[in-house]
Amino acid sequence: MLDGLMNGFSVVLQPMNFLILLSAVFIGFIGGALPGISGVILVVILLPVTYGMDSTTAFMLLTAIYASTVFSGLITAILYRAPGTPEAVMTSFDGYPMTQRGEAGKALGIGILSSAVGGLVGTIALIVFTPMLASIALKFSSPEFFALAVLGLTVVASLGGSLLLGLIGAMIGLFVASVGIDPMTGTLRYTFGNLNLAGGIQLIPIIVGMFAISEVLKRAQGNAPHTPIKKVKIRIFDMPVIRRIRLTLARSSILGVAIGILPGIGASTAAMVSYSEAMRWSRNPKEFGKGVPEGIAAPESANNAAAMGALVPLFALGIPGSGTTAVILGAFIMHGLQPGPSFMTNNGDLIYAVFVGLLIVNLLILAFSKPFVAVLSRMLNIPYSALGPIIIICCVVGTYSVQNSMFDVWLMLGFGVLGFLLEKINFPLVAIILGVVLGPIAESEFRRSLGMSQGDPSIFFSRPISATLLYIAITVVMLAIIVPLIKYLRKRSARLSDAH
Amino acid sequence: MLDKYKFAAIGILGVSVAAVSGTTLASSEASDYPSGNIKALVAAGAGGGTDNFTRQVQPMLEKRLDTTVTVIDLPTASGAIAHQRTANSAPDGQTLDFSSSTLITSLAAGQNPTGLDQLTPVARMQSDVMTLIVNPDKYKNFQEFYDYAKNNPGEVVIGGTAAASPDKMAFLGFKDASGLDMNFIPYDEEGSVSSNVLSGNIDGMFGEISSILGYMESGKMKPILVFADKRLEDFPGIPTTVEKGWDLTDGNERGVFVNADTPKETVAAIESALKDIYESDKYQDYASKVHLDYREGWMGSDAYRKELKTDLKQYKRLLNNE
Repeated sequence: MLDGLMNGFSVVLQPMNFLILLSAVFIGFIGGALPGISGVILVVILLPVTYGMDSTTAFMLLTAIYASTVFSGLITAILYRAPGTPEAVMTSFDGYPMTQRGEAGKALGIGILSSAVGGLVGTIALIVFTPMLASIALKFSSPEFFALAVLGLTVVASLGGSLLLGLIGAMIGLFVASVGIDPMTGTLRYTFGNLNLAGGIQLIPIIVGMFAISEVLKRAQGNAPHTPIKKVKIRIFDMPVIRRIRLTLARSSILGVAIGILPGIGASTAAMVSYSEAMRWSRNPKEFGKGVPEGIAAPESANNAAAMGALVPLFALGIPGSGTTAVILGAFIMHGLQPGPSFMTNNGDLIYAVFVGLLIVNLLILAFSKPFVAVLSRMLNIPYSALGPIIIICCVVGTYSVQNSMFDVWLMLGFGVLGFLLEKINFPLVAIILGVVLGPIAESEFRRSLGMSQGDPSIFFSRPISATLLYIAITVVMLAIIVPLIKYLRKRSARLSDAH
Repeated sequence: MLDKYKFAAIGILGVSVAAVSGTTLASSEASDYPSGNIKALVAAGAGGGTDNFTRQVQPMLEKRLDTTVTVIDLPTASGAIAHQRTANSAPDGQTLDFSSSTLITSLAAGQNPTGLDQLTPVARMQSDVMTLIVNPDKYKNFQEFYDYAKNNPGEVVIGGTAAASPDKMAFLGFKDASGLDMNFIPYDEEGSVSSNVLSGNIDGMFGEISSILGYMESGKMKPILVFADKRLEDFPGIPTTVEKGWDLTDGNERGVFVNADTPKETVAAIESALKDIYESDKYQDYASKVHLDYREGWMGSDAYRKELKTDLKQYKRLLNNE
């Protein structure tokens, strides 16, 4: 392995290759920062360009773009509550409140550091454990995916604020996710004969609307006067903060890798689950959503780790772990490479060059993100009366560009108004997003599991991994019901004894 | 009030004049097709087989027609949006719909409302062969699979992508012909199907040999039945459906469609450009790279339409019997 790595370094550090790697990082930065332009699109656009290149260079370029887009979605999420990629939604929950408090520099610093840590942990896991992790990934089938989604949904119980609103939010999310073609039977659900709804409601319009647009609407009311931030000082290595978030970083990075390696489940889910876990493990879960460093560290380290983890089944088995890796799989075939179980042994040189490339990309993120972020944050100086419309234009163009659909734009604006109204009553928007992302996984994997067992529900409890996850979920829900009940009974008996 | 009506009347007149002149323009200009840029709609997701196919053809088409071709992926609703947009586009042959057989399977299932009365098939360029693929640890050959499925009705689970896909139709056709009692689970992505076959969670899957070559080499997956009338030259060891006595052949195909109102001359112009591309070394080089050269891919407009109509009938019958 060391031989391979050394060889990889010598390939990557050739001037031409290094230059390509640098430009890939730069392209990824820009693409990730623009809402609507995701890693998938960038990789597809650049695919034809790589045909003329030698395969090693081509895949260094594609994987570097992939890694850097996952990173740069956090910038606009933190600064303007306009997540540049779906993976960065969770980052806005705590990043944006920090910006509003004038701590944009601190928030960005945490985001950059967490991304790099997550990315490095993910890459190291990729280099060292790929064959082993791939065999673990195969242990996950429909019952396990269902259990994982259920566990993710139970975090609604530990959200700050009203439990009832949280449940309503999750239900709204689940409902929105059920629109479109039934994944199992192909029946059209809640489409009202409109073909645009047949494809389901996409995540981008929901996220961009609910977070970016609703925020602009709120600011347009002018209740919170905009104080132009003169200087954003980004501090990446801030020791007190690092000490505070190191456990979260470690846990979320590992969780991110673990979720990332599962086929079909990507970095967005990883960010969401690790945010919930950070909240569950925290001593002050009520502070989440108001601007705590852990709330940025958890999703950012997890989504970057997951992005690397998604490459594990791709390299080891030829199975893509996410949307972008599916495109990279297609690119392998176009380059005449044969993905599959013997891919790593047959193409060791290429794989190690890609591994080294990814290591360097994650270090480049630490080094080069600062000037890039500084340019984007300078826009905070612009008065909001001008910045707000700019954000809206970016949102409209970004949403439209996903599938050239005006319908999506209207949908996005609709979700913007909905998000604006819901936030007036302090509705937990995170619950809706949980439902939208995890709902389809829970639903279709539940039905697939029953298909596997010929309708016997005991399949969920006869398989060790799914049984464990489900028991944890059940315990969490029971605790959420029982603990307040005990508190209430104690209070009542205390009141009764007082009365006596 | 009067002004308002006048305004509306002028507006309507203007639009209809524009529409009429638009159609006459289109037909008179058929000889010098294309008169502008071309939009290539992909009725599938980025990075998939249909998308790769379109992006391969794109530069070759640009060169032959001397215009710009923009590729737009429209994967939602199994590509139904791409079909609808093509049907609603100006009938000038400048909106091309690149689609797989999913166009017909989703039409049969009622997911896609745009049928062959609204779209004209220009050409078929790829024809893949459907195969039944299993994990060799579970079943060594087709006979073993068949015997197990026969003796354990309702227990065998087969995976494939999407609920109204070519995979599903192959399953229904196979079930119908063989009389075996089996279940089908649709997955969202091909990767999920193959990982479930690899891990032995399901018994097999429907798919193309081209996509599992790597697994075949390492002995993790094995195609045990080919849905064709004669054995594949490259894989003479795999039995076919027809030699088993079933009247059943199937495979995913990819082709190009335009608005049904497009003038005949324009359709012919696109067809001949595509044929030229198909016969070029560059295209054949790509086809052999992605292993889409096991069977002849080319089929002209009229023959393709006939074939699609037969397929549609067959799929509708299978879905009704389900």
